[in-house]
Amino acid sequence: MKKESFLYVVIFTFIVAFIFVFIISLVNNATSERVARNRELVSAQAFLNAVGKKESEGTKALSEFSNLFGPVDGESIVKSDIDGNTLLVKQFSGQGLWGTVHGVIAVNKEVSRIIGLDIISHEETPGLGGRIEEDWFKDQFRGEAIPDGGIKVKKGEGGSDNNPDNGIVDGVTGASLTSAAMEVIVNNQIAEFRKEAAE
Amino acid sequence: MMKNLFKGILRENPIFVLALGLCPSLAVSTSVNNALGMSAATFIVLLGSNVVISLLRKQIPEDIHIPAYIVIIASFVTLVDIVMQAYFPALSKSLGIFIPLIVVNCIILGRAEAFASKNTVGASAVDAIAMGIGFAVGLISIALVREILGAGTITIFPDGGVIRIPGLVDKPALVFAFPAGALIVVGFLQAFFRWLGEVTNK
Repeated sequence: MKKESFLYVVIFTFIVAFIFVFIISLVNNATSERVARNRELVSAQAFLNAVGKKESEGTKALSEFSNLFGPVDGESIVKSDIDGNTLLVKQFSGQGLWGTVHGVIAVNKEVSRIIGLDIISHEETPGLGGRIEEDWFKDQFRGEAIPDGGIKVKKGEGGSDNNPDNGIVDGVTGASLTSAAMEVIVNNQIAEFRKEAAE
Repeated sequence: MMKNLFKGILRENPIFVLALGLCPSLAVSTSVNNALGMSAATFIVLLGSNVVISLLRKQIPEDIHIPAYIVIIASFVTLVDIVMQAYFPALSKSLGIFIPLIVVNCIILGRAEAFASKNTVGASAVDAIAMGIGFAVGLISIALVREILGAGTITIFPDGGVIRIPGLVDKPALVFAFPAGALIVVGFLQAFFRWLGEVTNK
């Protein structure tokens, strides 16, 4: 068969695509359980981090998670008793600059203070907006007061904000749009917490 | 043979001399561990695709040779991506979108087109190893300069493998962590590597 003939091209394309898709699906099948477990673990750890009970050991994190939160249904608000305090915890998702940001946020039952926040996944630029998953950014939310107008993520205008009572946290330098998106995402969650708390 | 193996470091360094694969080099060079992960991923994809393309070079029809290369490269990238998600979730998380983007990394398509499609399997494998080492050397040197100056740290493993440089860690020159700093570092390193290449050639 001539190498440049139409039939050869079609058959060649088919065979190459078939072989590679076959190999990929084999590997995917072999690892899908592990990948799913990794995802589950990341979200369990995010829940624990949000309420300040960091646990890096895998199996312990999963059992601690089911102890404290039980089965969590999507993005519904979970009430959980942590060290005698009732907290409202919720998984969230919202639009970042490039893609969806998934995470977990916890507030106290009066919705007057954020207990903590953790990021499960995001698609922001590594090294810039991607830094929202770094501890210095997330730790700013720990214990931050929630003013009536919601929290504010500061950008530019020099100096950092270390006051936990004013509802202002620092944005990520070089990532104003991601920081602004985080402000909107967190305030949306606060609105949902308030609705729940009012009921 | 030995000469060919080391051509990628200086004489034909993909980043500094051939100026290939600049996009990921600018983007993931903010920390050393990212650069290490990216180098390893690129190395595996480069080796796999060069060998397979060289094997099939007589069977691939001329009309569709670029799409055929892309299918082969994309398959290797997908494999690396899946394996990384399963066994190195933290690395996979921090490299994010840049793993799938290896598909369009000029180094890989460039070596397929310029080398693997015309040479034997053995020579293509050596070429891939040389280019992979060259890319790793380039990427890691950019990352070292950027992380040391821009963050004052050297991160080898995110948990527990962070070297803090006294004096710099509290007051880092933030510009090096940003894209502008990446371009400055790449420019200076490019000049340095070319100078080194000229000096060693004499």
